Amino acid sequence: MESMKDKAAIVGVGYTPQGKVPGRSSLSFHVEAARNAIKDAGLRPGDVDGLLIQPTMGDMSVTAVLVAQHLGIRARFLASQDSFGASAACQAQHAVWAVAHGYADYVVCSYGENARSGISKYGTALNGGSEYGMFGAASLYALAARRGMHEFGTGPETWSEIAVAQRRWANLNPAAAMYEKPMTFDDYYNSGFVIEPFRLMDICLISDGGRAFIVTTAERARDCKKMPVYIMGMGQDHPADNAPQAGYLTGPTWAKRSGEAAFKMAGIAKDDPDAVEMYDCFTYTVELELIDYGFFKKGEGKDFLKADRMSPGGDFPINTSGGLLSEAYQQGFTPLTEAVLQLRGECGDRQLGPATNTKRPEIILVSNNGGVLQTHSTLILGR
Amino acid sequence: MTIYKKPLPPVNEDTAPYWEYCRKHELRMQRCKECEKIRFPVSIVCPGCHSMESEWTRLSGKGNIFSFIVFRMAYHSAYKDDIPYAVAIVQLEEGPRMESNIIGCDVEDIRVGMPVEVVFDDVTKQVALPKFKPIQ
Repeated sequence: MESMKDKAAIVGVGYTPQGKVPGRSSLSFHVEAARNAIKDAGLRPGDVDGLLIQPTMGDMSVTAVLVAQHLGIRARFLASQDSFGASAACQAQHAVWAVAHGYADYVVCSYGENARSGISKYGTALNGGSEYGMFGAASLYALAARRGMHEFGTGPETWSEIAVAQRRWANLNPAAAMYEKPMTFDDYYNSGFVIEPFRLMDICLISDGGRAFIVTTAERARDCKKMPVYIMGMGQDHPADNAPQAGYLTGPTWAKRSGEAAFKMAGIAKDDPDAVEMYDCFTYTVELELIDYGFFKKGEGKDFLKADRMSPGGDFPINTSGGLLSEAYQQGFTPLTEAVLQLRGECGDRQLGPATNTKRPEIILVSNNGGVLQTHSTLILGR
Repeated sequence: MTIYKKPLPPVNEDTAPYWEYCRKHELRMQRCKECEKIRFPVSIVCPGCHSMESEWTRLSGKGNIFSFIVFRMAYHSAYKDDIPYAVAIVQLEEGPRMESNIIGCDVEDIRVGMPVEVVFDDVTKQVALPKFKPIQ
């Protein structure tokens, strides 16, 4: 199989107003995000000939065809890619295959949802179970987390460090919902149990908004307006098991295989990336998946994951936008587009480099996961 | 009779037999006739060997708590008066695991590994939910 290493690049990202943005349809967020990504890349609407979207959970009428129609895109490559929180990094990979083999020149990948203000499916049943009072993804992840407490002694001592560190990043990010809301360890513990063992601060935000990015060949990328961010490595793995039967609720999840494929393709070692941008639906997810990527072993989280290491200025920067926990829930797009902005050096006060007394990043690990650890995708991005 | 306001299980053509057995207070799951593996959730095909032949085998209803959570906040108005309530993944003796409620004890006393057995809660005339209580 031909290696896709550095064959394609992300050349544009698009943001929208986010957080609590009432009075807007999910479609409008898709369209605005994609429009802004096209503008960011310095492309004209007619240049785009590929479109992938993540379906909107609360409004299935938002199809790839409809988004293309609103953007005036005549696509040679058009699809809806449904792997939940892993979709963003999956879309990127499918776009790489398409542009590398000439099935499209520029592929827009987009997400949008009025998940906070609209008629949303967020927070309602996932995989059934509502007859037992189980609602939302939080319940199944909390079941996984409780099992993790039993098997390898994790718990709030570890999870609070993750929540506090990511909040510190959000406090440097004007686009973050929690920009003006600092959080102490006491705040974490005082936030109270929602679904025990998860406290409110272990659980990601629910946000309105959209996000998009554009993939093209490395060759075309050099002629785009912004600095190309190359896709050095990629992998995905989707066990898809029914959550209660799954053997991976305490790891190893298949992020391990997804990650191994991406690192192998990039030809780098786990310590080579300068930062990790990871899908952090819940604090426990971050801990579990970092184990799968080989950063530490089960039970070592409480020693490895110290807030100061993960915070601005620390030696293990993670989720530098504030992530899903403290920036905004834009599915797997939240970590992916933050990695692009960091590599391009556009992050202002939270920029890795002199602004935060760290190194200007050259390689960033992006990890997505979706469902209840049922889908995984990994990208290694570099400049 | 008071009206049952909580969500009912999503019964469809495939899952109807499972819920019909529950209504009769029998916990039954599909055993593959080819590889003999008991599967859950309900499916027309064995995910292991793809045989479409199966029989509804009766389970002991005994198992232990694989994991559990306690809802401290109501996500649905009908559950407001039940807070705090416990949801668990129960490891059944015969192999499959299932989601359910742990009832008949204080939520503070629930532990991973605790032995439990099924009790059926007749929530409507048509629907009985298999729930679990600690084995004394």
